[in-house]
Amino acid sequence: MLRSERGPSTRGVGVTSIRAASARIARRLEAPTDVEHRHPASVEELAETLSQASSEGRTVLVWGGGTHQGYGYRVSPDLVVFTDGLATIVEWEPDDLTVVVEGGMTVAGLESRLATRGQTAVLAELPATGTVGGALAAGISAYRRGRFGPTRDRILEVTLVTGDGRVVRAGGRVVKNVTGYDLARLAVGSFGRLGVIVSACLKLWPLPQVSATVTLDGDLGNQVYRPLAVLEEARKSSVYLAGTEEEVAAQIARLPGESQPGLVWPELPSGPWTWSLRVPPATAVGFVSALPDDFVHQVGVGEISFTTEDTQGMEDLRTKVEAAGGSLVVTGRPPGGEFEPWGRPPAGIEIQSRLAAAFDPARILNPGRLPGRI
Amino acid sequence: MIDELRAALDSDRVMESKLELHLYGRDAGVYRGNPSVVAIPETTEEVVEIVKIAGRHEAPVVARGAGTGLAAGAVPTEGGVVLVTTRMNQIHEIDPVKRTAWVGPGVINLDLSHAAAPYGLYFAPDPSSQAACTVGGNIANNSGGPHCLAEGSTVNHVLALEVVLPDGTLEVIGSEAPDPIGLDLRGVMVGSEGTLGIVTRALVKLTPIAPDIRTLLCSFSSISDAAETVSGVIARGVVPAALEMMDQRIVEAVENWLHAGLPTHAAAILLAEVVGETAAVEAEADLIAEVARANKALEISVAAGEDERALLWKCRKSAFGAVAQAAPNYYLHDTVVPRTRLVETMNKVYEIGRRHDLLMMNVFHAGDGNLHPLMMFDASEPGMIEKVQAAADELVEVCVKAGGALSGEHGIGREKRDLMPLMFNTADLDAQARIKETFDPFGRFNPGKILPAGSRCFDQSGALPPGAWV
Ligand SMILES: Cc1cc2nc3c(=O)[nH]c(=O)nc-3n(C[C@H](O)[C@H](O)[C@H](O)COP(=O)(O)OP(=O)(O)OC[C@H]3O[C@@H](n4cnc5c(N)ncnc54)[C@H](O)[C@@H]3O)c2cc1C
Repeated sequence: MLRSERGPSTRGVGVTSIRAASARIARRLEAPTDVEHRHPASVEELAETLSQASSEGRTVLVWGGGTHQGYGYRVSPDLVVFTDGLATIVEWEPDDLTVVVEGGMTVAGLESRLATRGQTAVLAELPATGTVGGALAAGISAYRRGRFGPTRDRILEVTLVTGDGRVVRAGGRVVKNVTGYDLARLAVGSFGRLGVIVSACLKLWPLPQVSATVTLDGDLGNQVYRPLAVLEEARKSSVYLAGTEEEVAAQIARLPGESQPGLVWPELPSGPWTWSLRVPPATAVGFVSALPDDFVHQVGVGEISFTTEDTQGMEDLRTKVEAAGGSLVVTGRPPGGEFEPWGRPPAGIEIQSRLAAAFDPARILNPGRLPGRI
Repeated sequence: MIDELRAALDSDRVMESKLELHLYGRDAGVYRGNPSVVAIPETTEEVVEIVKIAGRHEAPVVARGAGTGLAAGAVPTEGGVVLVTTRMNQIHEIDPVKRTAWVGPGVINLDLSHAAAPYGLYFAPDPSSQAACTVGGNIANNSGGPHCLAEGSTVNHVLALEVVLPDGTLEVIGSEAPDPIGLDLRGVMVGSEGTLGIVTRALVKLTPIAPDIRTLLCSFSSISDAAETVSGVIARGVVPAALEMMDQRIVEAVENWLHAGLPTHAAAILLAEVVGETAAVEAEADLIAEVARANKALEISVAAGEDERALLWKCRKSAFGAVAQAAPNYYLHDTVVPRTRLVETMNKVYEIGRRHDLLMMNVFHAGDGNLHPLMMFDASEPGMIEKVQAAADELVEVCVKAGGALSGEHGIGREKRDLMPLMFNTADLDAQARIKETFDPFGRFNPGKILPAGSRCFDQSGALPPGAWV
């Protein structure tokens, strides 16, 4: 009934690769140079730094790779604290598909280490300088979330240094856990307001044997079960496939379009103003037609990243997006450019504010960055 | 308070007879409590009313779904109002295009999957209790189930929640859109065991039924071989949809009851399921069989069709019912260890049973490292309860020492509250207590659960710096 063992894959469709396109690196920002910089080399040193800043009331800007510093209200820091001194793999259990990694490690560095044992943390296909802590704090997910879910679904444990210098850990190094409140998940997307993410345990996935990108020249329909991603751009749509050789080949055969080996991700829209539009996935198509040409729509996810300098037009767009239950987020802006970064604050803003105060009582960590100027 | 509750609801939905209070004083676990009153709301507005009335009388409110919880989450250990959601059981909307459903908290888990089936969809979290437990209870406990190995626990399937907060305000947190802006209140509400808010409606994701499926039954002559197979499959980079283990005692009990033809001579069986594209499913089934063979599997068979597959899952999911033949009482545990530590942990589990002279049975979510040791006993024997408790504490300690956690899916509730310091230090527990305090400063919702007394230990001045936005 069961067939014999397969040999290692050699034919056909190409080995998975994660490309860092050059245009994506352009998005990186530089930290303000006119204030003090610190590069703590240990969790203790970071805790000491923050505890001191709290007692002196000095505002801290936390800096990972600088790739997502364009989000949120601007912070005017007295001090920039870099996480690059906390950048190692603490523990990696390949056979358990988990890794504990420090926040300052780059996503590219982590992923290339994991790839040596055929694994991935499914973190965003980010610019090479982006850090794990930054990706978590900004709540950024990979295009591959179509199959593996968003980053927040894969964080198992977090260690934070809070604004007042307490070191707190929540969750555990196991793949399933309901011991206590899910602070790890709460830290995802918190933009540093609850603490500096010094380390996290992440659930890993095996890298597929083969992968392929199919540029569609017809309707996708229901041809593939859970592709890695389906991305729509102005002039093409692509399906990203991964799995066993037979599986990928069977899917390619069913799809209308050209296939090429590997995962060829689009370059992120780049320009002085960049935006992320997030709406219920089924309504996203309706927004695509109104957008300028430079966009990437994650079909089925409901996120569209794009660039435009028409900030006026964005006011109207935001009204429509919010009416559909979504948000229009500024992800990058030119120096001096002003535009409300988040739009209408979400529900429960008062609780969010109190939560931030519970973890950062002196209000020194990236203060005011989140919606509602929390 | 009872009069006010009667005025707010129909009087037959406010119960205070001795029998009723007794019935609602416990869940499916071993703890019991004494509610002052039981209230059964039908609408969100009624929940708000109950919370406000209880608040005025400084009475605790303990939310309760079907009461199948095993950690005393729904047990009113400090008295107060038990708020039962079973009449809030409407499926408000299923949207087959968006693959979502808005449901009341009292909807039974399996009813939702049945209602979604005509659209080729189902609700992925599938606790073995799914024919009885509620979606509200699943959300509050972040429940798992056999198929959470690949699909993740309940939290991965919740998009938005309508919740009543301890001060009686109503909020809809989360969103149908991806990555809602701001702090993820939805994420922390899931798994909070009724201590932060009461869910009155939920927007959940529905999952498409996979195009193909294979269900394998592998039997082994030792527990270690079965456990090695689990670790081996994961280490080979395959994450099946489900990977469940049942030991001989469990298999015998189930077989006695269902006569499904399970291999009762084997020391353990593994139930493995893979789903997806046909080619992938075949390849993964091959690999699992290969790993099983390498670990000296006695036999490996594949369910021949949907009926056989359904029967195998029925065997797995009725295991807890079947064990009733073995002894009058059982204490079901829930802990997790890293999957690389399964073999040694299983050996220790049986060793603890032997040392305490307790019959230990195991049926569990092996692929997640999520153990469910079941201790069989007769509570009427003097000293028995103490013995069981001592063995249980040892068991948890063994798992935590192996790098594991107190609970993988049943929750902490009252049962494991005082074990929290095994995993967390004072700063960690204080951080947890701050989350509770933020949502529920007066400790109204389900007091005495999750966190041991005295968890909030650092500066309690509560003073906020000038300019703090609260
Ligand atoms: C035989 C058996 C098998 C089981 N198998 C599994 C399994 O495979 N996986 C698993 O994870 N669990 C399992 N369980 C445990 C249990 O069924 C789950 O925890 C289930 O989700 C509880 O749902 P319930 O409706 O019974 O909740 P209850 O027991 O009524 O309540 C559980 C908790 O949720 C809170 N709560 C309930 N409703 C709400 C609401 N609307 N808002 C806020 N809080 C609320 C309660 O206060 C309590 O803390 C099993 C239990 C039994 C008896």
